Amino acid sequence: MGQLIEEQYVWRLPVRLYHWINAFCITLLFITGLYIASPVLSPSIGEAVWYHKMAWFRYVHFGTAFVFLANFIFRLYWALFGDDKYGRFAGFKPWSPIWWGKPFKEQLKSYLFIKQEEPNYSGHNPVAALTHFLFVFCGSLFMILTGLAMYGENNPGGLTDSLFGWTVLIFGSSQSMHTMHHVVAWVFPVYLILHLYAVVRHDIVERSSITSSIITGYKHKVEECPEYTD
Amino acid sequence: MKKETTYAEILESRGVNRRDFLKFCSLMSVYLGYSSTFIPTFVRAMETKPRIPVIWLHGLECTCCTESFIRSSHPITADIILNMISLDYDETLSAAAGDQLEAVRKQIIKDYKGKYILAVEGNAPTKDDGVYCMINGESFTNVLKETAADAMAVIAWGSCASFGCVQNAKPNPTGATPVHKIIKDKTVVNVPGCPPIAEVMTGVITHLLTFGKLPELDRLKRPKAFYGTRIHDKCYRRPYFDAGMFVESFDDASANKGWCLYKMGCKGPTTFNSCPTVKWNGGTSYPIQAGHPCLGCSEPGFWDNGPFYTRLADVSFLGTNSNADKIGMVAVGAAAAGMAAHAVGTAIKKNKKQKSETANTEEG
Repeated sequence: MGQLIEEQYVWRLPVRLYHWINAFCITLLFITGLYIASPVLSPSIGEAVWYHKMAWFRYVHFGTAFVFLANFIFRLYWALFGDDKYGRFAGFKPWSPIWWGKPFKEQLKSYLFIKQEEPNYSGHNPVAALTHFLFVFCGSLFMILTGLAMYGENNPGGLTDSLFGWTVLIFGSSQSMHTMHHVVAWVFPVYLILHLYAVVRHDIVERSSITSSIITGYKHKVEECPEYTD
Repeated sequence: MKKETTYAEILESRGVNRRDFLKFCSLMSVYLGYSSTFIPTFVRAMETKPRIPVIWLHGLECTCCTESFIRSSHPITADIILNMISLDYDETLSAAAGDQLEAVRKQIIKDYKGKYILAVEGNAPTKDDGVYCMINGESFTNVLKETAADAMAVIAWGSCASFGCVQNAKPNPTGATPVHKIIKDKTVVNVPGCPPIAEVMTGVITHLLTFGKLPELDRLKRPKAFYGTRIHDKCYRRPYFDAGMFVESFDDASANKGWCLYKMGCKGPTTFNSCPTVKWNGGTSYPIQAGHPCLGCSEPGFWDNGPFYTRLADVSFLGTNSNADKIGMVAVGAAAAGMAAHAVGTAIKKNKKQKSETANTEEG
C-alpha cells in the first residue's frame, strides 16, 4: 500500500485538448486512409451519380487532415510560446549532454531492466520525450507535407501545389510519395501500442494516475509506507 | 551553305494547299492551349522562319517514340511536321548509315551552331564507359554530349530520355541515365510517356519553331500544356471512382459495365498526361477507355512502382518484396510482442521486489 503525498497539476487544458483532438484525428485519418487505399465496401446498386462512397471517405480524410494540421500548429505554438512548464519544448534538448546524458540513460536502463529504480518524472521522461518527438512530431510533419503535396496535385500551379508540391521531388514520383505516405501512416498504430503500454505500466508501477491525468490534468505522487504492507 | 528555305515554301513545294496549312496552324495553337488570336502568329512564323534542322539521336530505347511520332494521327500534322522539321539526322529514318550519317551530324553541328534542335530518344548507359550503347565506335554518352553542346534546344523524347524508364529500373545494370542528368548546362524539355502521344510531340516542336523558345515547363520540366492535369481528374470513369464502384477482376460484370479500374492498379490518380483529352490514334481511344488500368508510363520510375495490377506498390523491405500494409502490420505485431514481453519482465521484477521486501521484513 502507499500513501498519497502530493497532487500535481501537470497537463494544462490546451495540452489535454490537443491530445484528444490529435487522437481523434489520427484514428479517423488512419481508417479513412486505409479505405482510400483499399476501398473494401461493396458497390451500391444504381447509378454512379447517386453515390459518393469513395468521395465521402476522401472528403472526411481531407477535412480531418486540416483539423489535424491546425491542431498541430496550435501545439507547436503552445510548445514554443505557451506558459506551460510541462508542455514546452524548452526542456527538450536531445543534442545536449545535459539532456542526453544521465537522465536519459537512467530512464532507458530502467526500461531495459538494467536498473532497479524507476525514475519518476512529473512531465515527460526523456525517453518518452524522444519517442514523442520521433513518432508524433516527425511523423506528423511527414504526413502533413506529403499530404498537402498530394492534395495540391489536382490543381498544379495552385496555392497548395506551389507551396508543397516540391515534396514530390524527394520521392521521385507521385506514386512513390503515395506509397511512403501509406508506409509512414503505420507509425501511428505502432506508436499507439507503445504509448498505451507505457502509460498503463507507469500507472501500475508508480500509481501516479497518469492514465486519468490526460483527462483531469492531475498526477499523483505516492510514497511507499512500510507499516501498511501486510 | 545553301539558301535557307521557310516552312511555307517547303509545304508549297510538297503540294500542301493554303487551306490545309491554316488548318494545321489552328490545330497546333489549340493543342498548345493558345487562343484563336494566336493563329496568325503561328501562320507568320511558318511563313517567315527558316526551317530548323533537327538531330534525332537514339540511345538505349525501343523506338516506340519514333513509331508514335511518325503516326501523328492528323494526316496533315504528320505530313507537315515530318516535312517542316528538317530531320537531317535520325538513325531510324535516314537512308544513309554509318560514316556517311555521322558526317551529316558533324556537318549540322558545324553549319548550324546554336541553331539546331536536338531530340533525344532513349537514354545513355554510363556504366563501364558507356560500352552498352555504341554508335559508330563512339559511346552514346559522348555523342550526346557533343551534339548537345551547340544545340538551340534539347528535347528528351519519352520516359527513357526523361526519367529512365525500364532501362534504369532496379537494379539498372547498365547505369542508364536520363538526359537531364547528363546535359546539365541546358534546360532539357522532358516529354515523357512510353511512348509520348504523337500530338504532344509535334506540339512541343511547333511551339519551339513558332515562338523560338521552350514551352512553359512544370517542376519536372514537362510542358504544362500537356502534363498539367492528372489522368484521374479528366477520366470519364471518375464518377464510378467517387461512387466507390470498382472493377474487381478483368472478367467480372463491372469490368463489362466500364466501372473504375482503381482496384485493378490504375495509376491514373498519380499520372500527369493528356491521354483522356488528346487520346491516341487519332482520338480513337486510350488505355482506360479500352478497359485497361493506366500503367503510369509517363511518371518517373514507373517500373519500380509496380506491380501494374495492384493499387499498393511493392516496397522492398529487408530484402523482401512487401507492401505498405504488410510492413505496417509486421511493425504493429512486433510492437505488441515487444510490449507483451516487457510486461512479463515488469511483472517478474515486481514479484522479486515484493519477495525480497517480505524476506527483509521477516528477517527484521
